[in-house]
Amino acid sequence: MTTTRFSILAGSWLALACAFAAPAFAQDDTLDRGIGSEWSSMDPHVNFDAAAGSILSDAYEGLVNYNGYDILPGAAKSWEVSEDGLTYTFNLREGLVWSNGDPLVAQDYVDGLMRTLLPDTGSERGYYFTSVVQVVGAADIINGDATDASGLGMTAPDDRTVVIQLENPAPHVMNILGGAFSMPPLHSPSVEAEGAGVFVNPARVVTNGAYLIREIVPQSHVLLERNPLYWDAANVSIPFVKYHVTEDASTELLRYQAGELEVTYDIPLAQMEGLQATVPDEVKITAGVDIVYYSFNLLREPFQDINLRRALTIAIDRETLEGRIVRAGATPNYSFSGGFDPNYKMPVFDEAAMTQEERNALAQELYAAAGYGPDNPLRITILPTVAEESVRRAQGIALMWKQVLGVDAVVEPQERKAWLDAFYAGTWDVFADNLVGDFPGPETFLPYMRPSAEAGYNWVSPEYEAAMDVASAQTDPQARLDALAVAEKILLDDYIVAPISIIPTRRMVSPRVGGWLESPVGYHNSQYLTLE
Amino acid sequence: MLRFLTTRAGDGILTLAALVTLTFFVMRLAPGGPFSSNRKISPDILANIEATYHLDEPLLQQFLRYVWGVVRFDFGPSIRFRDYSVADILISGLPYSLTIGLWAVLVATVTGVTLGILGALKRNSIIDYSAGVIAVIGIAVPIFVLAPLMQVYFALTLRWLPVGGWGDSWRNLVLPIVALSLPNIAYISRLTRAAMIETLRENYIRTAMAKGIGGRRVVWNHALTGAVLPVVAYLGPATAAIITGSIVIETIFALPGIGRHFVDAALNRDYPLVMGITILYGGFLIVFNTLADILRGWLDPRVRNE
Repeated sequence: MTTTRFSILAGSWLALACAFAAPAFAQDDTLDRGIGSEWSSMDPHVNFDAAAGSILSDAYEGLVNYNGYDILPGAAKSWEVSEDGLTYTFNLREGLVWSNGDPLVAQDYVDGLMRTLLPDTGSERGYYFTSVVQVVGAADIINGDATDASGLGMTAPDDRTVVIQLENPAPHVMNILGGAFSMPPLHSPSVEAEGAGVFVNPARVVTNGAYLIREIVPQSHVLLERNPLYWDAANVSIPFVKYHVTEDASTELLRYQAGELEVTYDIPLAQMEGLQATVPDEVKITAGVDIVYYSFNLLREPFQDINLRRALTIAIDRETLEGRIVRAGATPNYSFSGGFDPNYKMPVFDEAAMTQEERNALAQELYAAAGYGPDNPLRITILPTVAEESVRRAQGIALMWKQVLGVDAVVEPQERKAWLDAFYAGTWDVFADNLVGDFPGPETFLPYMRPSAEAGYNWVSPEYEAAMDVASAQTDPQARLDALAVAEKILLDDYIVAPISIIPTRRMVSPRVGGWLESPVGYHNSQYLTLE
Repeated sequence: MLRFLTTRAGDGILTLAALVTLTFFVMRLAPGGPFSSNRKISPDILANIEATYHLDEPLLQQFLRYVWGVVRFDFGPSIRFRDYSVADILISGLPYSLTIGLWAVLVATVTGVTLGILGALKRNSIIDYSAGVIAVIGIAVPIFVLAPLMQVYFALTLRWLPVGGWGDSWRNLVLPIVALSLPNIAYISRLTRAAMIETLRENYIRTAMAKGIGGRRVVWNHALTGAVLPVVAYLGPATAAIITGSIVIETIFALPGIGRHFVDAALNRDYPLVMGITILYGGFLIVFNTLADILRGWLDPRVRNE
């Protein structure tokens, strides 16, 4: 009797366990890429994160494309800029179609921007069109003053022409019309029929990029297949691309080493040096448009003294910090914006030309001038996130401040959301800050530091505002960069933040993958890659 | 039986109600919100997004809205994973968590009970000592140490099994199931061994022996029931814990289960998703504990009469 009972129990359990296992489908000729944590949204007008950006830039095509540092024609085969730098006219290719065969017309791009801006969509991407560049009328749609496209500075005079009108000259508009953060078109019929759910329904979603969306498994992967109707399909080499969620960098590396992935999203810090020694060609470390700087709380009394801010800024030995302590591949930075544009004559803070010994000696003088010394040390807190790299950097800096100046700095790591909240609450002395840019160039960072941007730095500087106004009125790219350099120097001279370093993208790329170009923003569209 | 079930169901609903209320308000105490971001978002854009999720309403109204939704089995939209509702995410992740979890419980129970019985029958033998050693290792060495070692050995060195991912065959399941069952094998074998030794001393076993029934039959038909009772009691909460608590395993082996969503949701302040998973986990605990009690009653008349 007992035996029977056990058999029943064990049997039903076995059946239960088997019932849930579902097969997934496998493909050869597949490029397997890690993307870190899961995509926030596959809705191209809503997504605001890098993971989904990679997938979406394979599936949807903007007016232009990026490969490495180059801006390439995308859906638009050519474009013209007006004399005043305010009007951009794009000429679309002939015979463009969506993946279901519907013709792709200029109005679809206008509809895409409208969907991004309308309040009901609840999209953060409106930021690109009101903050990064100012498209005429975009702000009115976001705040509900306008409900249709009649006042919008993006129009389709005919099926193959898209016109964009800007409120201010912004040559960098070309940097947000393609790639991972592109302005994708809208296939209205499918979205009207099925709502936003269509974007995660591989059977119904309609795309216009080099790849079709074949399979979406949350927390696991997205499988893409080459789009035979893409205008440049003949030059797309890899038939399938599978993006894997790879939250744990150590597991991701093991999967790479086992041949399950050809491209990783990150490299575990503890393994970096070993890998650089054994497989240097597979380790791809590129300075990314992600700058780390330490912000001083200007509302707190000690930091209102420029001598103290300057002393703290120059007492950090950035080479030792990044090369010997943090060891995450970051580049020491002596400017604010980090450059990224070869034509930009990047200013650095005045002491950058000194040796670290000279800087330390000067820092000690400035520290004393600010009224501190061995009997009266400065006592402050540093607020980094709990990320290993961020904590290591903060501890290294606290140590240097202690050794050079005798400052008692306490490192108080915070979980990311709490850290963000703390910044705006102002409950910190020194904030281990960072800013991620949208394109390679100083202008992705500098406008954010304008006092009028009210980003939370409480800096008062009419000089910086005026210099930025001069820069943003320039239509000639080189003149604009030169004017930006003037503004950046004002920012550096005030030492309101201490520049620290430039965070890299860290990837393992298999020797089987060809065509991998260095890209500071991390654009690596699969259509430009090959797989042996 | 019916009365037992009604009482349990009533208790369960009360427990869940308390869980929902507590979690809802405690979660809001955590600093930061779902839309805290590195670059300050313009107030207009932020207002639009908050309105989409009703986060602009007073907290009490949000709570009532949520409870009214839950009553109708509507767990709301996920904020972190904007394409999905909370129900979508639970339905898509549950099969993976269940498959891994149920297999792990099965493996742990069969192996654990076998080791425990062998250990009890041949006390102080090699088998007994080996089972003891396995138990100590299984309990003492954390999964996050064992699992990567297993990955390196079985996937990279021997190339027998894949490192991770939910792939194309049963081979993806072997390592996670083994890693998840190890600590439980340890507990179950210890529990079984102790219970078996105790049972073998009981009068009814001695009576059976005295009647001349063979040793194997006594063990299999009479002693085993007594020996697995504590295991069944342990399995109730353990099954719930294994299915829901495989967060570490899911992360290390890159499996698309619910556990990882839970961590991600909490870190990103995805309030509805945290609530949904909490309710699911609470429900699992209640259901599996009830099942364990029913099973014990079925196996042991003494429990039935209580």
